[in-house]
Amino acid sequence: MASHVLVVEDSALLTNALRLLLEVTGHRVSVAATVRDAVSTARTTHPDVMLLDVTLQQEDGLDVLRELERTGDAPRVSVALTGHDSPEVHQRCLAAGCRDVLVKPVSGAELTARIDAWLQE
Amino acid sequence: MTRVYPDAPADARVEALEEQNVHLARVIAELRNQDALKTQFLANISHDLRTPLTAVITHAEIMRDGILGELTDRQAESITGIISGGRQLLDMVSEILTYARGAANQLTLARTEFTVESVVEQVAVMSHSLVGRKEHALSVDVEPELPSVYADREKIAHVLANLLGNAIDFTPPGGRVWIAARLSRDARAPAAVEIEVGDTGIGIAPEHYDLVFREFAQVDASASRQHHGTGLGLAIARKFVELHHGQIWVESKLGEGSRFFFTVPLRAAP
Repeated sequence: MASHVLVVEDSALLTNALRLLLEVTGHRVSVAATVRDAVSTARTTHPDVMLLDVTLQQEDGLDVLRELERTGDAPRVSVALTGHDSPEVHQRCLAAGCRDVLVKPVSGAELTARIDAWLQE
Repeated sequence: MTRVYPDAPADARVEALEEQNVHLARVIAELRNQDALKTQFLANISHDLRTPLTAVITHAEIMRDGILGELTDRQAESITGIISGGRQLLDMVSEILTYARGAANQLTLARTEFTVESVVEQVAVMSHSLVGRKEHALSVDVEPELPSVYADREKIAHVLANLLGNAIDFTPPGGRVWIAARLSRDARAPAAVEIEVGDTGIGIAPEHYDLVFREFAQVDASASRQHHGTGLGLAIARKFVELHHGQIWVESKLGEGSRFFFTVPLRAAP
């Protein structure tokens, strides 16, 4: 199922990989590297899914979701991406409103399957 | 630095000693500071190493999954090699990151109540393919009606998986590996569950019992050594056990196998 995915991630190396994966599987992709950029992109382009890196350069990635929730602009599904899986991180992500927490490196097949499942819920 | 001459008058010697103390305190503070900086550097660099490595693995997996087109068998084999090498490297980097966080006292416990039996089962199932590959016999023996513990489940599972991984790694094919859990019989310590991971592997000489729990220490540190890794696995295990106020130790005989033990107190220390 094609959808619009916003990837919020500060490493171009990773966003390039995710963009390739998602575009080849038929999704439309936007990319943002900072909290500010992500909030304004989400407000103007209304993505269906937001993949959110928890640790952006000096910033808390979850602030993107908190700010969007505050104004009712949050995407249908927001999912956290983290390099470090721990119960603390997990809880923080769910408390901020993330549907799920994925630990990097996320397998391509798993990510695309999950996006389809989230959008069908 | 002022020298202390034994035949100088008493107040002169006291003064010189005081001066030395001030100097040494400054040196210690400076060394502590440098150690903290290095630990922070280690944490930062391992975090930053993860990102490009994650990109490499993600790209390789996209190709392996045929998302960019069908692969020949040879290409698939080669890509699988990239992925497993990358994953191994990522595990090592994660281990260094965990160690650095532990050294900088940045690790916290997320406690829940759970049974040790459930963790033993989980770790035994996870290690199934490793055990099978070396044709080891793995046995599990958990004392019936063992009380549950209030601890960080993920960290306890990590310790157990690390000990079991070592047991498998250091035991020749066809050997025996076991996990046992029982109530600790140590009457001097608070009530605890004692977990044992044993093997019939190469064993450890008594003079190396302490060394194996020390960071970056490997009994065989030569370039030709057969067992590779960061040398941090047991240091991290010790850190996790100590965060719970438990104990970890080894009993072993060279050539006859090892038995590693650790305890998890039933309740959190007040």
